[in-house]
Amino acid sequence: MAAPLQRRALWGEAAILVLIGLFCVFPFYWMVTTSLKTQIIALESPPVWLFTPTLANYWEVLFEDKVAPTLINSIIVAVCTTGLAVALGTPAAYALARFEFRGKQDLWFWFITNRFVSPVVLAFPVFLIARETGLRDTHAALILMYLTFTLPIVIWICTDQFRSIPRELDEAALLEGASQWTIFRRICLPLAMPGVAVSSILSFIFSWNELLFAYILAPKAAKTAPAMAVTFMEGYDVPYGKIMATSTLIVVPVLIFAMLASKHLVRGLTMGAVK
Amino acid sequence: MKLKMHVSALALASAATVGAAGTVQAWTLEEAAKPYAGTELEVLFLDRPGYNAAIKMLPEFEAATGIKVNYTTVPYENALGEQVRDFVAGGDLDIALIDLVWIGNFAENGWLVPSETFINDAALADPDLDMADFFPLILDAFGSWNGVNYGLPFDNYSGLLFYNKCMLEAAGFTAPPATWDDVMNTYGPALTKDGKFAYALQSKRNETQSADSFARFLWPFGGSFLNAEFKSNLMSAESQAGLKFRQDLMKFMPEGIVAYDHAETVNAFAQGDVAMITEWSAFYSTVVSPETSKVADCVAIAPEPTGPAGRKPALGGFSLAVATQADDAEKAAGWLFIQWVTSKAKSGQYLEMGGVPGRQSAYADPALAETYKFIPALVESWKDGVPEFRPRFAEWPAITEIVQEWGTKMMLGEVSIEEGSKMIGEKMEAVLAEAGYYDGKKPLAQ
Amino acid sequence: MTLRVPRRTIAAFLGPAVAALALVGIAPLLYAVWKSLHYFNLTKLAQQRFVGLDNYASVLTDPVFWQAMGRTALLFAISVPVQIALGLTIALVLHRPGLTFWKTLTRLSLVLPMATTYAVVGLLAQVMLNEKYGVINQMLGWIGVDAINFIGDPTNAFIAVILWDIWQWTPFVALVLLAGLSTVPPEIEEAAKLETRSDWTVLRHVQLPFLVPSLVAILILRTADTLKLFDMPFTMTRGGPGSATEFIAVLIERVGNRQFDIGLAAAQSIIMLALTIFLARLYIKVFYKEVR
Repeated sequence: MAAPLQRRALWGEAAILVLIGLFCVFPFYWMVTTSLKTQIIALESPPVWLFTPTLANYWEVLFEDKVAPTLINSIIVAVCTTGLAVALGTPAAYALARFEFRGKQDLWFWFITNRFVSPVVLAFPVFLIARETGLRDTHAALILMYLTFTLPIVIWICTDQFRSIPRELDEAALLEGASQWTIFRRICLPLAMPGVAVSSILSFIFSWNELLFAYILAPKAAKTAPAMAVTFMEGYDVPYGKIMATSTLIVVPVLIFAMLASKHLVRGLTMGAVK
Repeated sequence: MKLKMHVSALALASAATVGAAGTVQAWTLEEAAKPYAGTELEVLFLDRPGYNAAIKMLPEFEAATGIKVNYTTVPYENALGEQVRDFVAGGDLDIALIDLVWIGNFAENGWLVPSETFINDAALADPDLDMADFFPLILDAFGSWNGVNYGLPFDNYSGLLFYNKCMLEAAGFTAPPATWDDVMNTYGPALTKDGKFAYALQSKRNETQSADSFARFLWPFGGSFLNAEFKSNLMSAESQAGLKFRQDLMKFMPEGIVAYDHAETVNAFAQGDVAMITEWSAFYSTVVSPETSKVADCVAIAPEPTGPAGRKPALGGFSLAVATQADDAEKAAGWLFIQWVTSKAKSGQYLEMGGVPGRQSAYADPALAETYKFIPALVESWKDGVPEFRPRFAEWPAITEIVQEWGTKMMLGEVSIEEGSKMIGEKMEAVLAEAGYYDGKKPLAQ
Repeated sequence: MTLRVPRRTIAAFLGPAVAALALVGIAPLLYAVWKSLHYFNLTKLAQQRFVGLDNYASVLTDPVFWQAMGRTALLFAISVPVQIALGLTIALVLHRPGLTFWKTLTRLSLVLPMATTYAVVGLLAQVMLNEKYGVINQMLGWIGVDAINFIGDPTNAFIAVILWDIWQWTPFVALVLLAGLSTVPPEIEEAAKLETRSDWTVLRHVQLPFLVPSLVAILILRTADTLKLFDMPFTMTRGGPGSATEFIAVLIERVGNRQFDIGLAAAQSIIMLALTIFLARLYIKVFYKEVR
């Protein structure tokens, strides 16, 4: 009859869902558990699933291997570049959504293609330019270079967001003699907050994860966390526990953000192509 | 007038005597460093025992001189790039860390200050410096180029045979292999079974492939990278014999050996999966420490096996030199540090803390060989080694890339030994031609 | 629908953003183009000289370059269709009504892989795929498969990169397609489901047209990201063993950072950039019009 068949189908479906969930989450589980193992336990073959955990790796990594400062650098860079991207990008998005002018399509395309540029293309020239301007190994260098992908994200998402705000509000304000800037600041920007929020979170995530620019432009003082993780790879030992501890520290903030924004993440990642 | 002259003459004379007595009296580090107290030095370190030893010694240096040494630890693979970029961009490194293969490069680009500048400066030179006390081989190989010395040997290695005497005894051997032929014909088959392997050769596609894997099987077989005219010597019978030998030996090595870097190889030995490895002396502490090694009690050391052309063990190491881009105070302070950390007085402490000093006097005491089992093999290797183990000229970065690419392709079987050697030869010669070695623009120095 | 406003206003709104991007995007690019016309090696600065298009010529005739491009194309050709197939399946399952609690939990877990730092993915892969200490081989052992040497074998390493790419981006594809599915008007969907028992028919005729924008977005983004792929193979295998996982971005980094031949690396980068822009323009011109 229909009922037991349905229930069995539901169980089947639930099982599939659980499987999908495990598929996604298992590597993280492994990462965290390895980070709690000492080197000897980590090198057991075959790997052990039950063991006495230790926080020693985190302690060493944060304080002896100086990962803590790199996490702070990552935070500084990600927050500043996001702030800058929003400050520069929202007016630009507004203009693209509301104004008419020649070359608008091309300009929009140019903004977007910056997202497609591989850091490898820009890394060496930027390195040389940074030396000329004395910006080597500074937060500023990274904050500016990250604009190449944070600014397009903000623009793309917010343009869409602004477009969906009804014109009537604008028109009413115009009739009262308000300037474009006032309309932007007082009316549209507040209404566009969801888009701004999403693009900020995405911008933060992408800056946090960035490796190549950080690796080349900020070797010491402004070193970010992903660049630091790579440093562990080719010492004389491969300290699996410490590598995983560093990885966990790097990944956890971003994952939390991502889960907070999960509803809007898809919109953001597809640049609003799909509502 | 006359009196005055007499007095001044007397004053001069006494000053001279006092001055002379002063130099004889005591050059002390504290005195010499006084003008530079508060200077901060920037240098790159690697995450290896020698550097960790130096790091432990830093507080003492700072207390005595007021000079602070700021070190940044980087992986070996990044150290060259970081320093090149720093020197090109006029950065802030004051001391250069020079791998044996970078000396030609750094020296020719004018990035290093010859040590003579400081040795001749009475205020800075430690009378106890005794350059002759350094093993001539490593002073030359790591720190000198074209007859000029720039750096003092700091982190020094020789290739050694680490073997698991328990595994060997279980297979019926009472001594380690003396020749590579022994390894191939006797030890290899006997020790490779039941999931264990006789030998592992670190061969990853980076400097490890060129230095550890490729070069190791050229020299003991009478081969070399280049001949006297600086043309490729890889097609010679001896070179080919060596490379073919290496290829053949792979049957006694773990699978996927081409992905093994130092860490993996030492680990395989330390976990008891591989009976013998020929690795750098610096790994001694890793394999005998119970925290990282399961075979700590079974470790024994011997010099590397000999080939038809004799024993030509792998040679590697780093020297420290003063960078040209440093300002005068930093240069002086830098020299004082380099001189101190490689000094006779400190070499005992350096050895105790896990470093491998480059001074002959450091190993004079026979009792040390009891505690540090690698000493006899090491000293022997440094007496026999080849400074051109890897050609050290400025073009090495380009050449090592070629060797790494085709060396690994050979091992993977993607190309035959002859094919691969020919490719390397052609490309090497192209690089050297471009650099002007063949039309006399550059002296044939390596 | 859009306004004509004085030029000054347009400049005021757009100016700062354009200036910033021009500064960080165009200026270095021009510098790169300029350097690509020179022989410029960091360890041989004295020999720097103008060589015109020589660098480009050597790049385009260099088998190593084309092999790297080939590998990158192969990676794309294999992993993207798999991601779409798997992603679509997951999306379809999530699209059905019911089991909301489990569905939310699943959706949350789908978010994790794509937000992970790529460098970390590579390091994690190294740990999990290790021949001796890796958990993957342990699990294969449970179903009776021999331990596989992932990182040390050229073919297996390449496959490993593909697998991790699939792990990281299938959730993304699934979520995008799920969003696309939600744009199908429910009445049409229900009507179709009543008319035929075959899910496949429903998919093909009713849902697929609404999925086109999503598929296009996926194609564009995956193309761009695959060409940029660096962090994960770099931290997992450094491009090895041999050159098995040396994708185009990994190659350029090696030329610039280890061989220090900046002129050559610049030429390679410019060529790659031209390709990316060409493809992006192509996709957008052909497909995006439909979306707009």
